[in-house]
Amino acid sequence: MKVPMQWMKQYTEIPVSAEAFQDAMIMHGTGVEGIEDQNDAVQNVVVGKILTVRKHENSDHMVICDVDVGEAETVQIVTGAPNVHEGDLVPVAKVGAKLPGGITIKKGKLRGVDSCGMCCSGPELGVPEYLYPSVGDKGLLIFHEDYKPGTDVRSILGVDDQIVDFEILANRPDCLSVWGVAREAAATLDKPFNKPEIKVETVPGKMEDFVHIDVQDTDLCPRYCARIVKNVKIGPSPMWMRKALHAAGVRAINNIVDITNYVMLETGHPMHAFDLAKVKDSHIIVRRAYEGEKIVTLDGKERALTPDMLMICDQNNATGIAGVMGGEESEITDETTTVMFEIASFDRTSIRLTTRALGLRTEASGRYERGVCAATCREAADRACQLVNMLGAGEVIEDVYDCYPNPKPEVVVEASVAGINRRIGMQIPGEEMVSILKRLHMDAKLDGDKLTVVAPNYREDIENEADISEEVLRIYGYEHIDSTLLRGQTAPGTRNAHMELTDKVQRILTGKGLYEIRNFSFVSPKIIEKLGLDEGDNRLNLLKVTNPLGEDTSVMRSTLVPSVLGTVALNQNRNNETAMLYEIAPVFDNVGREEGKLPHEMPMLCIGAYGAKVDFYLIRDIVMDMLARFGVKCDVVRGAQPYHHPGRAAELMVNGECIGNVAEVHPDVMAAFELSKRTIIAEVNLEKLAALRTKMTDVRSLPKFPAVTRDIALVMDESVMVGDVLSCIRKAGGAMLESAQMFDIYRGAQLLTGKKSVAFSLVFRNAERTLSDDDVNPVVKKILEACEKNCGAALRL
Amino acid sequence: MDMQEQLRKIQEDAKQQIEKITDKAGLDALRLKMLGKKGDLTLLLRSMGQVPAEERPKVGQMINVVREHLTAQMDELDAKIKKMEQEKKLARESIDVTEPREHTAIGCVHPVSLVQDQLCKVFTGMGFDVVEGPEVELDLFNFELLNLPKNHPARDAQDTFYIEDNIVLRTHTSPVQARTMLSRKPPIRIVCPGRVYRADEVDATHSPVFHQMEGLVIDEDVTMADLKGTLDAFAKNLYGDDVTTRFRPSFFPFTEPSAEVDLTCVNCHGKGCRVCKGTGWIEVLGAGMVNPKVLDMCGIDSKKYSGFAFGVGLERIAMLRYGITDLRLFYEGDVRFLSQFRDD
Repeated sequence: MKVPMQWMKQYTEIPVSAEAFQDAMIMHGTGVEGIEDQNDAVQNVVVGKILTVRKHENSDHMVICDVDVGEAETVQIVTGAPNVHEGDLVPVAKVGAKLPGGITIKKGKLRGVDSCGMCCSGPELGVPEYLYPSVGDKGLLIFHEDYKPGTDVRSILGVDDQIVDFEILANRPDCLSVWGVAREAAATLDKPFNKPEIKVETVPGKMEDFVHIDVQDTDLCPRYCARIVKNVKIGPSPMWMRKALHAAGVRAINNIVDITNYVMLETGHPMHAFDLAKVKDSHIIVRRAYEGEKIVTLDGKERALTPDMLMICDQNNATGIAGVMGGEESEITDETTTVMFEIASFDRTSIRLTTRALGLRTEASGRYERGVCAATCREAADRACQLVNMLGAGEVIEDVYDCYPNPKPEVVVEASVAGINRRIGMQIPGEEMVSILKRLHMDAKLDGDKLTVVAPNYREDIENEADISEEVLRIYGYEHIDSTLLRGQTAPGTRNAHMELTDKVQRILTGKGLYEIRNFSFVSPKIIEKLGLDEGDNRLNLLKVTNPLGEDTSVMRSTLVPSVLGTVALNQNRNNETAMLYEIAPVFDNVGREEGKLPHEMPMLCIGAYGAKVDFYLIRDIVMDMLARFGVKCDVVRGAQPYHHPGRAAELMVNGECIGNVAEVHPDVMAAFELSKRTIIAEVNLEKLAALRTKMTDVRSLPKFPAVTRDIALVMDESVMVGDVLSCIRKAGGAMLESAQMFDIYRGAQLLTGKKSVAFSLVFRNAERTLSDDDVNPVVKKILEACEKNCGAALRL
Repeated sequence: MDMQEQLRKIQEDAKQQIEKITDKAGLDALRLKMLGKKGDLTLLLRSMGQVPAEERPKVGQMINVVREHLTAQMDELDAKIKKMEQEKKLARESIDVTEPREHTAIGCVHPVSLVQDQLCKVFTGMGFDVVEGPEVELDLFNFELLNLPKNHPARDAQDTFYIEDNIVLRTHTSPVQARTMLSRKPPIRIVCPGRVYRADEVDATHSPVFHQMEGLVIDEDVTMADLKGTLDAFAKNLYGDDVTTRFRPSFFPFTEPSAEVDLTCVNCHGKGCRVCKGTGWIEVLGAGMVNPKVLDMCGIDSKKYSGFAFGVGLERIAMLRYGITDLRLFYEGDVRFLSQFRDD
């Protein structure tokens, strides 16, 4: 919220620099985004009197002027403006002057003639038409009052203020006003807050002679104040008001409208002015909208209303949406003669829901949503009338309409000095608390340890001792808070099981050269469709975000694969030669979820990798090594997801349950994700891993007797899987076979087509004695027979 | 030539040869020539029969002395040759240690994980347990129990994604605090890291998905000074001993009093720079004393217990720590970005 410094200074002293003021306000609870000095935009521009005007020999539209700028010598300025007359007073940007937009005026030559400055128009000075009357004229801005040449134009044009941009906290709607921030400034700097005495000069008259008001739904409209001004003379408001409004970022329009805006900015109360002549039957009804009722708002749109919206109506129709937007027919015009000011308080939730439902937000609705205090409505109404008096804008009728059936009781908080000190960890004496609270206009009484505080009516955020402690602390100064260590338990903290598991997974994978990535948890449903899943696949049952930023973030992902492939594609498109990436994140399982219930969040690991040295086997072994670290041994079984290359895909099975998979990406899916290089994808269900992981058991003692090693080469069909042969060997080898490893595969001329020769190294050992050939030979024979029988694998001779 | 003369000649001969020998073959040949079956010394010994019997012991001893002497010399030479040959072999085997080889470098966790791990270490060291919770969360835990009733204007500050009317994507990790308060009895000391969601369009400083870590302490007589002490310790642990905190008054519905917490600018150490916009401070945390209304709603007696809570954005910490200026880098996963990180 932008507040002009001069406006605040009407109500309190601010005897410090802008920077010091900003710091003090920030450190005591009122945020300041920055302070803009209007004086920075325009510098070194003064009133100049045009003494002579001569023709420019080389130009038919430019003239040469001698201008008195209040210095010993006149200056020569060349200008092309159409309205240059001897004797006129105009703004002159002297050499070195600054104009809005970062323009600096330099001495120059215009078609061969020296020009030492520039005569300015209103727009060149960044001054809007509504602020200074002749700004709108064609050509140079002409001052119509008499000023001494050399006078700084900024004060004349009303652009010489500093504007403080406050950032008001959500609990302090009372500070969305000049009075509010001036009160805070006064409390912060320990200066008095001088609220103006509000007195209204009135003429006799009764409300009912002008208007009949009927507030039907007081639950949504706790207070409705109205005052009448007759014999209104519409005209511009005075310079001081226009200047204040402009500095606060509001256009000046006419005296009555300006008063409503001025009062809103000053008191925080949105106001509405009705032209009473245009209010049908002089009847104003405040009621809920009827079912099916419609309204055309000022912006020309027809809007459907619902009965939880509060309307301002005439006898037949809704003419305005309470607290959001007024009606067109009763707007103030130049012909307006009788005005009704409305200052009301509306239920903030109702306003909030109404603006949401209609998609309509205004300055007023924003204020009502945050909370406009009912208790101070009357004061704001009177302030508006006082301004009518001051501006001579009309005659204020004595009678007042004020419907406030349930005045808010004053809030009394009982607090304990010790309790407050215990909370903030300091020792502020009770007396000092009282004095701080008084600076905040809180009526505080101290009785021993008991502190009784009456909050001012505009402080609707004060409810309990915690609130009082914050008020005391922020004025006392957060910088005085001590720094103490926690007492009590000293046992080190623990990490939850999931984090401990993922941490271990991360250490293993990064050790293997993988990098962790993090993607958004919501994706486009289209990216999941790209996987080509079968109809009815659970992963197509997606949890939808009702208000996503866009289609591409509209569903919670049911699988990590698409996001990971997207990241892989990005790396391939950027010509990164190789990348081994993984993501650990929950996937959202929407299957069987009932309304109102949360989805199951399943922690998953997904690896995506490509590169010259990356193949299926590399990633398979990384995953299996990782699982082995958790004591999980799995069987590799052929099996492909729809997005897998069917011949290069495996499932990892533990006790018949699939814990994950590894595969090359299917060419169709590669194309869909714009992958140019073969990519390996792997998934591991970390929830299952957590359930299957085992604690390490005791180590075996080292063998005392030597092993016997036999290498065999078996010839088999290509289609026979080595894993199956190894299983067969191990089964047949029994207890004596300590280990069986494959160490070579041969394919080539010495074999028939479609055959491969696989070499295995078999290690036999007995824990009790040294084995002899007689021990080993029968077992090897048994192994060979089993391989022949079960796998069609014959010893290569 | 008498025996002694012959012996002297053999000795002289051997000496000359030993000086010339540079390899094992030469040495073996000499050994054979001298001490072999038909070696000079062996033959001399065999010709002992020609020596008068009374001189034999003397001559025999002389021969033995020479023999021992020669053997020792040849053994010494042998050792020398072996050493030389090993040196030659080692020289032959020398490799270019600067020759590059293809290899896979050690990877790294995501920078957000790096920061998260670091923070978890700091806080577990101070006795905090790390707790996690669901990302899709009930409105009850995300808002209502935290003193953010339906239609409260303070909800505007957290533009929320909805799944249903009462189910949201959590806007902070505070619902984990609410869940913990409802399920554990004080004393409570927890930190809750995790992914959170706000309806912000993506740009260099905004992201609809980001990470937070929040902390909660509840016990008897926990004070705002304890909060400051805890955050001071955290700041020093993370950024060094010259870093302190500055508390500014603020408002959060779930804390009262509330504070924005600035840290001494990590870039300029408080002198004022581009990172801190000349102030010497950077806004890093939000914190405060848990609002007694929140304690009561979560089933903790606010008359007996008090507590504090704080929250910090992990991306923000990472950006400050690693000099990252564009938030989007965290989520696009370019390996050239990721491979710059390491634990330290």
